[in-house]
Amino acid sequence: MNDLAIRTVDLVREYEGGTVRALKGVSLEVRRGEHLCVMGPSGSGKSSLMYLIGALDRPTSGEVWLNGRNLEREPDLDAVRATEVGFVFQLHNLLPTLTSLENVEIPMMALGVPRAERRRRAEELLDRMGLSHRRDAIATKLSGGERQRVSIARALANRPAVILADEPTGDVDSKTGGQIMECIQAARAAAGATLVVVTHNPELSKSADRVMMMRDGLLGPASP
Amino acid sequence: MLILKNLLRRKVRTALSVLGIAIGIAAIIAFNAVASGFKESLNQYARETGAHLMVLVRDVPSAEYSRISREEADEIARMDGVLESSGSTFYMMMMKGFPAFILFGREPDGRPMQRYRNREFRGELVRAEDELLLGSEAAQKLKKNVGDEIELFDRKKFRVVGIYTVGTVWENVGAVVHLRVVQQKLRMGDSIQLAFIYLKDPATRERTKAEIERRFPHLVAVRSEELAGNFENLAYIDWFVWVVSLIAVAVGGLGVLNTMLMTVSERTREIGTLRAVGWSCRRVLGLVLSEGVLISVVGGALGLVAGWLGAELLIRWAPKGYLGTFYSVTLFMKAMAVALGLGFVGTLYPAFRASRLSPIEALKYE
Ligand SMILES: Nc1ncnc2c1ncn2[C@@H]1O[C@H](COP(=O)(O)OP(=O)(O)OP(=O)(O)O)[C@@H](O)[C@H]1O
Ligand SMILES: [Mg+2]
Repeated sequence: MNDLAIRTVDLVREYEGGTVRALKGVSLEVRRGEHLCVMGPSGSGKSSLMYLIGALDRPTSGEVWLNGRNLEREPDLDAVRATEVGFVFQLHNLLPTLTSLENVEIPMMALGVPRAERRRRAEELLDRMGLSHRRDAIATKLSGGERQRVSIARALANRPAVILADEPTGDVDSKTGGQIMECIQAARAAAGATLVVVTHNPELSKSADRVMMMRDGLLGPASP
Repeated sequence: MLILKNLLRRKVRTALSVLGIAIGIAAIIAFNAVASGFKESLNQYARETGAHLMVLVRDVPSAEYSRISREEADEIARMDGVLESSGSTFYMMMMKGFPAFILFGREPDGRPMQRYRNREFRGELVRAEDELLLGSEAAQKLKKNVGDEIELFDRKKFRVVGIYTVGTVWENVGAVVHLRVVQQKLRMGDSIQLAFIYLKDPATRERTKAEIERRFPHLVAVRSEELAGNFENLAYIDWFVWVVSLIAVAVGGLGVLNTMLMTVSERTREIGTLRAVGWSCRRVLGLVLSEGVLISVVGGALGLVAGWLGAELLIRWAPKGYLGTFYSVTLFMKAMAVALGLGFVGTLYPAFRASRLSPIEALKYE
Protein backbone atom coordinates (compact mmCIF):
# COMPACT_ATOMS: atom_id res chain seq x y z
CA MET A 1 0.00 0.00 0.00
CA ASN A 2 2.94 2.30 0.58
CA ASP A 3 3.86 2.17 -3.07
CA LEU A 4 0.51 3.78 -3.92
CA ALA A 5 0.59 7.46 -4.71
CA ILE A 6 -3.15 7.76 -5.10
CA ARG A 7 -5.92 5.56 -3.80
CA THR A 8 -9.61 6.33 -3.88
CA VAL A 9 -12.25 4.15 -2.29
CA ASP A 10 -15.81 4.23 -3.55
CA LEU A 11 -15.76 7.94 -4.23
CA VAL A 12 -19.11 9.65 -4.58
CA ARG A 13 -19.50 13.31 -5.38
CA GLU A 14 -22.93 14.87 -5.63
CA TYR A 15 -23.71 18.48 -6.49
CA GLU A 16 -26.76 20.63 -5.91
CA GLY A 17 -27.97 18.72 -2.90
CA GLY A 18 -27.77 15.31 -4.56
CA THR A 19 -29.61 16.09 -7.78
CA VAL A 20 -26.38 15.84 -9.79
CA ARG A 21 -24.29 12.72 -9.22
CA ALA A 22 -20.97 13.44 -10.89
CA LEU A 23 -19.12 10.45 -9.37
CA LYS A 24 -20.97 7.30 -8.50
CA GLY A 25 -18.39 5.24 -6.66
CA VAL A 26 -14.92 5.49 -8.12
CA SER A 27 -12.17 3.26 -6.80
CA LEU A 28 -8.74 3.86 -8.24
CA GLU A 29 -5.18 2.97 -7.40
CA VAL A 30 -2.18 4.69 -8.93
CA ARG A 31 1.33 3.46 -8.18
CA ARG A 32 4.20 5.81 -7.39
CA GLY A 33 5.78 7.06 -10.56
CA GLU A 34 3.00 5.75 -12.72
CA HIS A 35 1.61 7.75 -15.64
CA LEU A 36 -2.16 7.34 -15.85
CA CYS A 37 -4.34 8.78 -18.56
CA VAL A 38 -8.06 9.30 -17.96
CA MET A 39 -10.34 9.75 -20.96
CA GLY A 40 -14.04 10.03 -21.31
CA PRO A 41 -16.88 12.12 -22.71
CA SER A 42 -17.69 15.57 -21.53
CA GLY A 43 -19.65 15.66 -18.30
CA SER A 44 -18.61 12.18 -17.30
CA GLY A 45 -16.99 13.39 -14.07
CA LYS A 46 -13.26 13.58 -14.95
CA SER A 47 -12.73 17.03 -13.49
CA SER A 48 -14.73 16.15 -10.40
CA LEU A 49 -12.38 13.23 -9.78
CA MET A 50 -9.29 15.35 -10.33
CA TYR A 51 -10.50 18.01 -7.89
CA LEU A 52 -11.00 15.36 -5.20
CA ILE A 53 -7.58 13.81 -5.76
CA GLY A 54 -6.03 17.27 -5.86
CA ALA A 55 -7.52 18.22 -2.48
CA LEU A 56 -9.48 21.05 -4.05
CA ASP A 57 -12.77 19.56 -2.98
CA ARG A 58 -14.15 17.09 -0.46
CA PRO A 59 -16.20 14.02 -1.48
CA THR A 60 -19.82 13.37 -0.57
CA SER A 61 -18.68 9.93 0.55
CA GLY A 62 -15.72 7.63 0.04
CA GLU A 63 -12.03 8.11 0.73
CA VAL A 64 -9.09 9.73 -0.97
CA TRP A 65 -5.57 8.70 0.00
CA LEU A 66 -2.76 10.82 -1.28
CA ASN A 67 0.82 9.68 -0.67
CA GLY A 68 -0.39 7.52 2.17
CA ARG A 69 -2.49 10.22 3.83
CA ASN A 70 -6.23 10.04 4.18
CA LEU A 71 -7.46 13.44 3.06
CA GLU A 72 -10.58 13.09 5.15
CA ARG A 73 -8.41 13.34 8.24
CA GLU A 74 -6.47 16.33 6.94
CA PRO A 75 -7.86 19.45 8.58
CA ASP A 76 -5.82 21.71 6.36
CA LEU A 77 -6.27 20.97 2.67
CA ASP A 78 -4.43 24.19 1.78
CA ALA A 79 -1.21 22.71 3.05
CA VAL A 80 -1.85 19.44 1.17
CA ARG A 81 -2.40 21.40 -2.04
CA ALA A 82 0.72 23.41 -1.48
CA THR A 83 3.02 20.48 -0.81
CA GLU A 84 1.62 17.21 -2.18
CA VAL A 85 0.14 17.99 -5.58
CA GLY A 86 0.88 20.13 -8.58
CA PHE A 87 -2.20 21.02 -10.61
CA VAL A 88 -2.21 22.01 -14.27
CA PHE A 89 -5.59 23.38 -15.29
CA GLN A 90 -7.26 23.38 -18.67
CA LEU A 91 -7.14 27.13 -18.68
CA HIS A 92 -3.70 28.13 -17.51
CA ASN A 93 -5.10 30.39 -14.74
CA LEU A 94 -2.02 32.54 -14.48
CA LEU A 95 -2.29 35.81 -12.56
CA PRO A 96 -2.50 38.29 -15.43
CA THR A 97 -0.55 41.16 -13.89
CA LEU A 98 2.43 39.10 -12.87
CA THR A 99 5.42 38.00 -14.90
CA SER A 100 6.15 34.35 -15.69
CA LEU A 101 8.70 34.29 -12.91
CA GLU A 102 6.34 35.76 -10.33
CA ASN A 103 3.59 33.34 -11.30
CA VAL A 104 5.88 30.41 -10.65
CA GLU A 105 6.81 31.89 -7.27
CA ILE A 106 3.20 32.03 -6.07
CA PRO A 107 2.93 28.48 -4.66
CA MET A 108 6.29 28.87 -2.93
CA MET A 109 4.97 31.95 -1.14
CA ALA A 110 2.35 29.75 0.47
CA LEU A 111 5.16 27.76 2.08
CA GLY A 112 7.13 30.83 3.08
CA VAL A 113 10.14 30.02 0.89
CA PRO A 114 12.60 32.94 1.12
CA ARG A 115 12.57 35.37 -1.75
CA ALA A 116 15.99 34.58 -3.19
CA GLU A 117 15.33 30.85 -3.09
CA ARG A 118 11.94 31.35 -4.76
CA ARG A 119 13.54 33.29 -7.54
CA ARG A 120 16.28 30.79 -8.08
CA ARG A 121 13.91 27.84 -8.25
CA ALA A 122 11.45 29.65 -10.50
CA GLU A 123 14.23 30.54 -12.92
CA GLU A 124 15.40 26.97 -12.98
CA LEU A 125 11.89 25.65 -13.67
CA LEU A 126 11.28 28.14 -16.46
CA ASP A 127 14.61 27.16 -17.99
CA ARG A 128 13.49 23.56 -18.00
CA MET A 129 10.28 24.58 -19.77
CA GLY A 130 12.40 26.37 -22.38
CA LEU A 131 11.11 29.74 -21.28
CA SER A 132 14.25 31.44 -19.98
CA HIS A 133 13.80 34.24 -22.50
CA ARG A 134 10.22 34.87 -21.32
CA ARG A 135 10.95 35.11 -17.60
CA ASP A 136 9.99 38.73 -17.21
CA ALA A 137 7.13 38.77 -19.66
CA ILE A 138 3.71 39.66 -18.21
CA ALA A 139 1.38 36.66 -18.33
CA THR A 140 -1.09 38.29 -20.70
CA LYS A 141 1.66 38.84 -23.27
CA LEU A 142 2.46 35.11 -23.52
CA SER A 143 1.13 32.78 -26.20
CA GLY A 144 -1.25 29.97 -25.22
CA GLY A 145 1.49 27.37 -25.27
CA GLU A 146 3.87 29.54 -23.26
CA ARG A 147 1.22 30.20 -20.65
CA GLN A 148 0.53 26.52 -20.26
CA ARG A 149 4.24 25.83 -19.84
CA VAL A 150 4.47 28.52 -17.19
CA SER A 151 1.58 26.87 -15.39
CA ILE A 152 3.42 23.54 -15.55
CA ALA A 153 6.44 25.21 -13.99
CA ARG A 154 4.11 26.62 -11.33
CA ALA A 155 2.69 23.12 -10.66
CA LEU A 156 6.23 21.85 -10.09
CA ALA A 157 7.29 24.73 -7.87
CA ASN A 158 6.97 22.93 -4.54
CA ARG A 159 8.32 19.62 -5.91
CA PRO A 160 5.07 17.68 -5.57
CA ALA A 161 5.05 13.88 -5.68
CA VAL A 162 1.84 13.91 -7.72
CA ILE A 163 1.16 15.96 -10.82
CA LEU A 164 -2.44 16.33 -11.95
CA ALA A 165 -3.26 17.76 -15.36
CA ASP A 166 -6.87 18.35 -16.36
CA GLU A 167 -6.95 18.71 -20.14
CA PRO A 168 -3.71 20.65 -20.21
CA THR A 169 -3.81 20.82 -23.99
CA GLY A 170 -7.49 21.63 -24.30
CA ASP A 171 -6.91 25.24 -25.14
CA VAL A 172 -4.12 24.99 -27.76
CA ASP A 173 -3.59 23.49 -31.20
CA SER A 174 -2.39 19.90 -31.51
CA LYS A 175 1.24 20.74 -32.29
CA THR A 176 1.53 22.95 -29.22
CA GLY A 177 -0.38 20.30 -27.33
CA GLY A 178 2.31 17.80 -28.20
CA GLN A 179 5.01 20.12 -26.92
CA ILE A 180 3.13 20.71 -23.69
CA MET A 181 2.72 17.00 -23.15
CA GLU A 182 6.45 16.54 -23.70
CA CYS A 183 7.15 19.18 -21.09
CA ILE A 184 4.92 17.47 -18.56
CA GLN A 185 6.50 14.10 -19.35
CA ALA A 186 9.98 15.47 -18.95
CA ALA A 187 9.12 17.13 -15.67
CA ARG A 188 7.61 13.95 -14.37
CA ALA A 189 10.60 11.92 -15.41
CA ALA A 190 13.00 14.37 -13.79
CA ALA A 191 11.09 14.40 -10.51
CA GLY A 192 10.06 10.76 -10.56
CA ALA A 193 6.56 12.01 -9.88
CA THR A 194 3.25 10.30 -10.39
CA LEU A 195 1.23 11.78 -13.23
CA VAL A 196 -2.49 11.72 -13.94
CA VAL A 197 -3.59 13.39 -17.15
CA VAL A 198 -7.14 13.94 -18.32
CA THR A 199 -7.45 14.33 -22.06
CA HIS A 200 -9.77 13.93 -25.00
CA ASN A 201 -6.91 13.39 -27.38
CA PRO A 202 -6.09 9.72 -28.03
CA GLU A 203 -2.66 10.75 -29.39
CA LEU A 204 -1.66 12.05 -25.99
CA SER A 205 -2.71 8.87 -24.25
CA LYS A 206 -0.15 6.79 -26.10
CA SER A 207 2.73 7.65 -23.83
CA ALA A 208 0.77 6.68 -20.71
CA ASP A 209 1.49 3.53 -18.71
CA ARG A 210 -2.22 2.95 -18.37
CA VAL A 211 -5.37 4.46 -19.84
CA MET A 212 -8.73 4.44 -18.09
CA MET A 213 -12.13 5.54 -19.23
CA MET A 214 -14.68 7.59 -17.32
CA ARG A 215 -18.29 6.98 -18.26
CA ASP A 216 -21.20 8.58 -16.50
CA GLY A 217 -19.52 8.88 -13.13
CA LEU A 218 -17.87 5.48 -13.16
CA LEU A 219 -14.27 4.62 -14.00
CA GLY A 220 -13.36 1.53 -15.97
CA PRO A 221 -10.63 0.17 -18.23
CA ALA A 222 -10.34 1.76 -21.66
CA SER A 223 -12.09 -0.23 -24.37
CA PRO A 224 -9.63 -1.46 -26.98
CA MET B 1 4.62 42.96 -5.25
CA LEU B 2 1.17 41.42 -5.63
CA ILE B 3 -0.49 44.08 -3.51
CA LEU B 4 0.92 46.94 -5.50
CA LYS B 5 0.33 45.31 -8.88
CA ASN B 6 -3.27 44.59 -8.02
CA LEU B 7 -3.85 48.18 -7.01
CA LEU B 8 -2.11 49.59 -10.05
CA ARG B 9 -4.17 47.43 -12.36
CA ARG B 10 -7.18 49.70 -11.91
CA LYS B 11 -5.38 52.97 -11.58
CA VAL B 12 -8.39 55.24 -11.84
CA ARG B 13 -10.44 53.25 -9.39
CA THR B 14 -7.62 52.97 -6.90
CA ALA B 15 -6.88 56.67 -7.28
CA LEU B 16 -10.52 57.53 -6.64
CA SER B 17 -10.70 55.50 -3.47
CA VAL B 18 -7.41 56.96 -2.30
CA LEU B 19 -8.90 60.37 -3.01
CA GLY B 20 -12.02 59.50 -1.03
CA ILE B 21 -9.96 58.69 2.03
CA ALA B 22 -7.72 61.70 1.44
CA ILE B 23 -10.68 64.09 1.36
CA GLY B 24 -12.09 62.65 4.56
CA ILE B 25 -8.78 62.95 6.37
CA ALA B 26 -8.17 66.41 4.92
CA ALA B 27 -11.53 67.49 6.32
CA ILE B 28 -10.61 66.21 9.76
CA ILE B 29 -7.28 68.00 9.70
CA ALA B 30 -8.52 71.28 8.26
CA PHE B 31 -11.61 71.66 10.44
CA ASN B 32 -9.80 70.62 13.57
CA ALA B 33 -6.80 72.82 12.89
CA VAL B 34 -9.01 75.87 12.48
CA ALA B 35 -11.24 75.01 15.43
CA SER B 36 -8.39 74.30 17.77
CA GLY B 37 -6.58 77.29 16.31
CA PHE B 38 -9.41 79.41 17.62
CA LYS B 39 -9.42 77.80 21.04
CA GLU B 40 -5.68 77.86 21.22
CA SER B 41 -5.65 81.58 20.45
CA LEU B 42 -7.96 82.14 23.41
CA ASN B 43 -5.55 80.28 25.65
CA GLN B 44 -2.62 82.10 24.15
CA TYR B 45 -4.34 85.41 24.79
CA ALA B 46 -4.78 84.48 28.42
CA ARG B 47 -1.21 83.19 28.70
CA GLU B 48 0.30 86.29 27.14
CA THR B 49 -1.26 88.51 29.78
CA GLY B 50 0.98 86.65 32.18
CA ALA B 51 -1.86 86.37 34.69
CA HIS B 52 -2.00 83.27 36.84
CA LEU B 53 -5.75 83.26 37.20
CA MET B 54 -8.65 84.94 35.42
CA VAL B 55 -11.75 85.60 37.43
CA LEU B 56 -15.15 85.95 35.79
CA VAL B 57 -18.79 85.15 36.45
CA ARG B 58 -19.48 81.44 36.56
CA ASP B 59 -21.39 79.87 33.67
CA VAL B 60 -21.48 82.81 31.26
CA PRO B 61 -21.20 81.80 27.60
CA SER B 62 -18.76 84.64 26.93
CA ALA B 63 -16.73 86.93 29.17
CA GLU B 64 -18.63 89.80 27.55
CA TYR B 65 -21.59 88.99 29.85
CA SER B 66 -19.50 88.80 33.00
CA ARG B 67 -19.80 91.57 35.64
CA ILE B 68 -17.65 91.84 38.75
CA SER B 69 -18.36 94.77 41.08
CA ARG B 70 -15.62 97.14 42.24
CA GLU B 71 -16.06 95.90 45.83
CA GLU B 72 -15.61 92.29 44.82
CA ALA B 73 -12.59 93.16 42.71
CA ASP B 74 -11.05 95.08 45.59
CA GLU B 75 -11.65 92.25 48.00
CA ILE B 76 -9.91 89.83 45.65
CA ALA B 77 -7.00 92.26 45.28
CA ARG B 78 -6.57 92.34 49.06
CA MET B 79 -6.45 88.58 49.41
CA ASP B 80 -3.32 86.91 50.76
CA GLY B 81 -0.83 86.03 48.11
CA VAL B 82 -2.37 88.26 45.44
CA LEU B 83 0.23 90.62 44.01
CA GLU B 84 -2.03 92.44 41.61
CA SER B 85 -5.59 92.21 40.37
CA SER B 86 -6.18 94.13 37.18
CA GLY B 87 -9.66 94.82 35.85
CA SER B 88 -10.46 94.31 32.21
CA THR B 89 -13.38 95.02 29.96
CA PHE B 90 -13.96 94.49 26.30
CA TYR B 91 -16.66 94.44 23.72
CA MET B 92 -17.16 93.46 20.16
CA MET B 93 -17.68 96.67 18.20
CA MET B 94 -19.40 97.25 14.91
CA MET B 95 -16.81 98.80 12.67
CA LYS B 96 -17.15 99.53 8.98
CA GLY B 97 -14.99 97.19 6.92
CA PHE B 98 -14.35 94.77 9.79
CA PRO B 99 -16.31 91.55 10.40
CA ALA B 100 -15.43 92.00 14.07
CA PHE B 101 -13.45 94.58 15.96
CA ILE B 102 -12.70 94.08 19.64
CA LEU B 103 -12.20 97.04 21.91
CA PHE B 104 -10.22 96.15 25.01
CA GLY B 105 -10.50 98.26 28.17
CA ARG B 106 -7.38 98.16 30.35
CA GLU B 107 -6.21 99.82 33.55
CA PRO B 108 -3.40 102.20 32.52
CA ASP B 109 -1.09 101.03 35.29
CA GLY B 110 -1.95 97.35 35.12
CA ARG B 111 0.22 94.57 33.81
CA PRO B 112 -2.24 93.64 31.04
CA MET B 113 -1.59 97.10 29.58
CA GLN B 114 2.19 96.71 29.96
CA ARG B 115 2.00 93.55 27.96
CA TYR B 116 1.48 95.48 24.69
CA ARG B 117 4.87 97.07 25.05
CA ASN B 118 6.82 94.28 23.37
CA ARG B 119 9.57 94.38 20.73
CA GLU B 120 7.18 95.26 17.92
CA PHE B 121 5.43 98.06 19.85
CA ARG B 122 5.63 101.60 18.55
CA GLY B 123 4.60 104.69 20.54
CA GLU B 124 3.35 105.05 24.11
CA LEU B 125 0.81 103.22 26.27
CA VAL B 126 -2.64 104.63 27.01
CA ARG B 127 -2.75 107.07 29.96
CA ALA B 128 -5.90 109.08 29.35
CA GLU B 129 -9.46 108.34 28.31
CA ASP B 130 -9.07 109.91 24.87
CA GLU B 131 -6.04 107.82 23.98
CA LEU B 132 -5.96 104.53 22.17
CA LEU B 133 -3.64 101.74 21.05
CA LEU B 134 -4.33 100.26 17.67
CA GLY B 135 -3.59 96.69 16.64
CA SER B 136 -1.19 96.53 13.72
CA GLU B 137 -3.67 94.81 11.38
CA ALA B 138 -6.35 97.34 12.21
CA ALA B 139 -3.89 100.22 11.78
CA GLN B 140 -2.93 98.97 8.38
CA LYS B 141 -6.51 98.59 7.28
CA LEU B 142 -7.58 101.99 8.63
CA LYS B 143 -4.36 103.59 7.35
CA LYS B 144 -3.69 105.14 10.74
CA ASN B 145 -0.39 105.82 12.39
CA VAL B 146 0.85 106.96 15.77
CA GLY B 147 -0.35 110.54 16.33
CA ASP B 148 -3.39 110.24 14.07
CA GLU B 149 -6.93 110.83 15.27
CA ILE B 150 -9.68 108.29 14.99
CA GLU B 151 -13.41 108.38 15.64
CA LEU B 152 -14.62 105.13 17.12
CA PHE B 153 -18.22 105.73 18.23
CA ASP B 154 -20.60 108.41 19.44
CA ARG B 155 -18.56 111.03 17.59
CA LYS B 156 -15.82 110.54 20.19
CA LYS B 157 -12.33 111.27 18.94
CA PHE B 158 -9.33 109.23 20.11
CA ARG B 159 -5.67 109.86 19.54
CA VAL B 160 -3.62 106.86 18.44
CA VAL B 161 -0.71 106.81 20.87
CA GLY B 162 0.69 103.38 20.06
CA ILE B 163 0.52 100.49 17.64
CA TYR B 164 0.94 96.95 18.90
CA THR B 165 1.44 93.48 17.50
CA VAL B 166 0.81 90.48 19.74
CA GLY B 167 0.71 86.76 19.17
CA THR B 168 -3.05 86.42 19.30
CA VAL B 169 -4.26 87.11 15.79
CA TRP B 170 -7.64 88.65 16.56
CA GLU B 171 -6.18 91.10 19.05
CA ASN B 172 -4.26 92.72 16.25
CA VAL B 173 -7.53 93.65 14.54
CA GLY B 174 -8.70 95.57 17.58
CA ALA B 175 -7.86 98.48 19.81
CA VAL B 176 -7.02 99.09 23.46
CA VAL B 177 -8.53 101.97 25.44
CA HIS B 178 -8.76 103.12 29.04
CA LEU B 179 -10.87 100.77 31.16
CA ARG B 180 -13.45 103.50 31.77
CA VAL B 181 -14.18 104.03 28.07
CA VAL B 182 -15.75 100.63 27.78
CA GLN B 183 -17.40 100.91 31.19
CA GLN B 184 -19.12 104.13 30.08
CA LYS B 185 -20.04 102.83 26.65
CA LEU B 186 -21.68 99.73 28.12
CA ARG B 187 -23.16 101.65 31.11
CA MET B 188 -21.59 99.19 33.49
CA GLY B 189 -20.65 101.70 36.17
CA ASP B 190 -17.33 100.80 37.72
CA SER B 191 -17.74 97.08 37.42
CA ILE B 192 -15.39 95.00 35.31
CA GLN B 193 -15.80 91.84 33.24
CA LEU B 194 -12.60 90.01 33.98
CA ALA B 195 -9.99 90.30 36.68
CA PHE B 196 -6.46 89.26 35.77
CA ILE B 197 -4.87 87.91 38.94
CA TYR B 198 -1.09 88.00 39.42
CA LEU B 199 0.26 86.07 42.41
CA LYS B 200 3.30 86.71 44.57
CA ASP B 201 4.09 83.03 44.39
CA PRO B 202 2.71 80.93 41.49
CA ALA B 203 2.78 77.91 43.79
CA THR B 204 -0.22 79.32 45.68
CA ARG B 205 -2.36 79.31 42.57
CA GLU B 206 -4.55 76.33 43.43
CA ARG B 207 -5.11 77.60 46.95
CA THR B 208 -6.01 81.10 45.76
CA LYS B 209 -8.31 79.68 43.10
CA ALA B 210 -10.17 77.65 45.71
CA GLU B 211 -10.33 80.57 48.10
CA ILE B 212 -11.81 82.95 45.49
CA GLU B 213 -14.40 80.38 44.45
CA ARG B 214 -15.27 79.72 48.10
CA ARG B 215 -15.76 83.39 48.94
CA PHE B 216 -17.62 84.24 45.72
CA PRO B 217 -19.74 81.28 44.73
CA HIS B 218 -20.96 83.10 41.60
CA LEU B 219 -17.41 83.63 40.32
CA VAL B 220 -14.95 81.22 38.79
CA ALA B 221 -11.16 81.50 38.83
CA VAL B 222 -9.74 79.92 35.70
CA ARG B 223 -6.13 78.92 35.18
CA SER B 224 -5.11 81.27 32.37
CA GLU B 225 -3.82 78.61 30.04
CA GLU B 226 -7.18 76.85 30.30
CA LEU B 227 -9.40 79.78 29.48
CA ALA B 228 -10.97 78.15 26.42
CA GLY B 229 -11.91 75.14 28.51
CA ASN B 230 -14.05 77.35 30.75
CA PHE B 231 -16.47 78.01 27.93
CA GLU B 232 -18.26 74.76 27.53
CA ASN B 233 -20.08 76.04 24.48
CA LEU B 234 -16.75 75.91 22.67
CA ALA B 235 -16.78 72.17 23.12
CA TYR B 236 -19.68 72.08 20.69
CA ILE B 237 -17.38 73.42 18.02
CA ASP B 238 -15.25 70.34 18.49
CA TRP B 239 -18.27 68.15 18.43
CA PHE B 240 -19.57 69.74 15.27
CA VAL B 241 -16.17 69.50 13.63
CA TRP B 242 -15.91 65.80 14.40
CA VAL B 243 -19.40 65.09 13.09
CA VAL B 244 -18.65 66.86 9.83
CA SER B 245 -15.29 65.12 9.53
CA LEU B 246 -16.74 61.73 10.32
CA ILE B 247 -19.31 62.11 7.58
CA ALA B 248 -16.56 62.98 5.12
CA VAL B 249 -14.57 60.04 6.36
CA ALA B 250 -17.49 57.61 6.18
CA VAL B 251 -17.87 58.50 2.53
CA GLY B 252 -14.20 57.71 2.02
CA GLY B 253 -14.64 54.41 3.84
CA LEU B 254 -17.57 53.44 1.64
CA GLY B 255 -15.34 54.18 -1.34
CA VAL B 256 -12.79 51.70 -0.10
CA LEU B 257 -15.48 49.13 0.64
CA ASN B 258 -16.88 49.48 -2.85
CA THR B 259 -13.48 49.34 -4.53
CA MET B 260 -12.46 46.26 -2.62
CA LEU B 261 -15.76 44.48 -3.22
CA MET B 262 -15.38 45.14 -6.93
CA THR B 263 -11.81 43.99 -7.05
CA VAL B 264 -12.64 40.81 -5.17
CA SER B 265 -15.50 39.88 -7.48
CA GLU B 266 -13.44 40.78 -10.53
CA ARG B 267 -10.61 38.62 -9.33
CA THR B 268 -12.68 35.63 -8.22
CA ARG B 269 -10.84 33.41 -10.63
CA GLU B 270 -7.42 34.64 -9.56
CA ILE B 271 -8.25 34.23 -5.92
CA GLY B 272 -9.45 30.69 -6.68
CA THR B 273 -6.13 30.03 -8.37
CA LEU B 274 -4.24 31.25 -5.33
CA ARG B 275 -6.29 28.95 -3.16
CA ALA B 276 -5.81 26.07 -5.62
CA VAL B 277 -2.02 26.31 -5.50
CA GLY B 278 -2.04 26.15 -1.73
CA TRP B 279 -2.62 29.67 -0.42
CA SER B 280 -4.53 29.49 2.85
CA CYS B 281 -7.66 31.51 3.69
CA ARG B 282 -5.58 33.63 5.99
CA ARG B 283 -3.03 34.43 3.34
CA VAL B 284 -5.75 35.49 0.90
CA LEU B 285 -7.40 37.52 3.66
CA GLY B 286 -4.07 39.16 4.35
CA LEU B 287 -3.52 40.01 0.70
CA VAL B 288 -6.88 41.72 0.26
CA LEU B 289 -6.61 43.49 3.62
CA SER B 290 -3.16 44.78 2.76
CA GLU B 291 -4.49 46.22 -0.46
CA GLY B 292 -7.23 48.09 1.40
CA VAL B 293 -4.91 49.26 4.13
CA LEU B 294 -2.37 50.45 1.58
CA ILE B 295 -5.10 52.52 -0.09
CA SER B 296 -5.94 54.10 3.22
CA VAL B 297 -2.33 54.71 4.23
CA VAL B 298 -1.65 56.53 0.97
CA GLY B 299 -5.00 58.29 1.18
CA GLY B 300 -4.35 59.21 4.79
CA ALA B 301 -0.91 60.61 4.05
CA LEU B 302 -2.27 62.64 1.15
CA GLY B 303 -5.10 63.80 3.38
CA LEU B 304 -2.71 65.07 6.03
CA VAL B 305 -0.93 67.21 3.50
CA ALA B 306 -4.13 68.32 1.78
CA GLY B 307 -5.74 69.12 5.12
CA TRP B 308 -2.82 71.24 6.15
CA LEU B 309 -2.82 73.08 2.83
CA GLY B 310 -6.60 73.42 2.99
CA ALA B 311 -6.56 74.89 6.48
CA GLU B 312 -3.86 77.38 5.58
CA LEU B 313 -5.83 78.33 2.48
CA LEU B 314 -9.01 78.66 4.46
CA ILE B 315 -7.54 81.12 6.92
CA ARG B 316 -6.03 83.17 4.12
CA TRP B 317 -9.31 83.29 2.33
CA ALA B 318 -11.22 84.16 5.51
CA PRO B 319 -11.02 87.81 6.65
CA LYS B 320 -7.43 88.37 7.56
CA GLY B 321 -6.39 88.09 11.13
CA TYR B 322 -9.37 86.38 12.73
CA LEU B 323 -8.53 82.75 12.35
CA GLY B 324 -5.40 80.91 13.14
CA THR B 325 -4.53 77.26 12.79
CA PHE B 326 -3.21 74.98 15.41
CA TYR B 327 -1.85 71.54 14.67
CA SER B 328 -0.95 68.97 17.20
CA VAL B 329 0.80 65.66 16.77
CA THR B 330 -2.24 64.07 18.38
CA LEU B 331 -4.46 65.48 15.66
CA PHE B 332 -2.27 64.03 12.91
CA MET B 333 -2.05 60.73 14.70
CA LYS B 334 -5.80 60.61 15.30
CA ALA B 335 -6.49 61.36 11.66
CA MET B 336 -4.06 58.72 10.49
CA ALA B 337 -5.60 56.21 12.88
CA VAL B 338 -9.03 57.04 11.49
CA ALA B 339 -7.71 56.46 7.96
CA LEU B 340 -6.16 53.14 8.88
CA GLY B 341 -9.22 52.05 10.80
CA LEU B 342 -11.42 52.92 7.87
CA GLY B 343 -9.27 51.10 5.37
CA PHE B 344 -9.23 48.10 7.63
CA VAL B 345 -12.94 48.04 8.41
CA GLY B 346 -13.89 48.84 4.82
CA THR B 347 -11.79 45.96 3.55
CA LEU B 348 -12.65 43.44 6.22
CA TYR B 349 -15.86 42.27 4.59
CA PRO B 350 -14.50 42.05 1.01
CA ALA B 351 -11.41 40.27 2.33
CA PHE B 352 -13.54 37.86 4.29
CA ARG B 353 -15.58 37.12 1.19
CA ALA B 354 -12.44 36.54 -0.82
CA SER B 355 -11.04 34.15 1.75
CA ARG B 356 -14.27 32.14 1.84
CA LEU B 357 -14.23 31.45 -1.91
CA SER B 358 -14.00 27.75 -2.53
CA PRO B 359 -11.24 27.04 -5.01
CA ILE B 360 -13.31 24.97 -7.43
CA GLU B 361 -16.19 27.41 -7.51
CA ALA B 362 -13.76 30.19 -8.16
CA LEU B 363 -12.03 28.27 -10.92
CA LYS B 364 -15.30 27.58 -12.70
CA TYR B 365 -16.25 31.22 -12.51
CA GLU B 366 -16.21 32.91 -15.89
N1 LIG C 1 -20.20 22.76 -9.12
C1 LIG C 1 -21.08 21.99 -9.79
N2 LIG C 1 -22.39 22.17 -9.55
C2 LIG C 1 -23.30 21.40 -10.18
N3 LIG C 1 -22.99 20.49 -11.06
C3 LIG C 1 -21.70 20.27 -11.37
C4 LIG C 1 -20.68 21.02 -10.73
N4 LIG C 1 -19.49 20.60 -11.21
C5 LIG C 1 -19.77 19.65 -12.08
N5 LIG C 1 -21.08 19.44 -12.19
C6 LIG C 1 -21.74 18.42 -13.01
O1 LIG C 1 -21.13 17.18 -12.74
C7 LIG C 1 -20.95 16.44 -13.94
C8 LIG C 1 -19.49 16.09 -14.10
O2 LIG C 1 -18.77 17.28 -14.33
P1 LIG C 1 -17.21 17.26 -14.63
O3 LIG C 1 -16.81 18.70 -14.74
O4 LIG C 1 -16.55 16.46 -13.58
O5 LIG C 1 -17.14 16.55 -16.01
P2 LIG C 1 -15.89 16.42 -17.01
O6 LIG C 1 -15.76 14.99 -17.31
O7 LIG C 1 -14.72 17.10 -16.44
O8 LIG C 1 -16.41 17.22 -18.26
P3 LIG C 1 -15.55 18.01 -19.35
O9 LIG C 1 -14.88 17.03 -20.19
O10 LIG C 1 -16.57 18.81 -20.06
O11 LIG C 1 -14.61 18.87 -18.57
C9 LIG C 1 -21.49 17.31 -15.03
O12 LIG C 1 -22.80 16.89 -15.32
C10 LIG C 1 -21.51 18.68 -14.48
O13 LIG C 1 -22.55 19.43 -15.02
MG1 LIG D 1 -13.53 18.73 -17.05
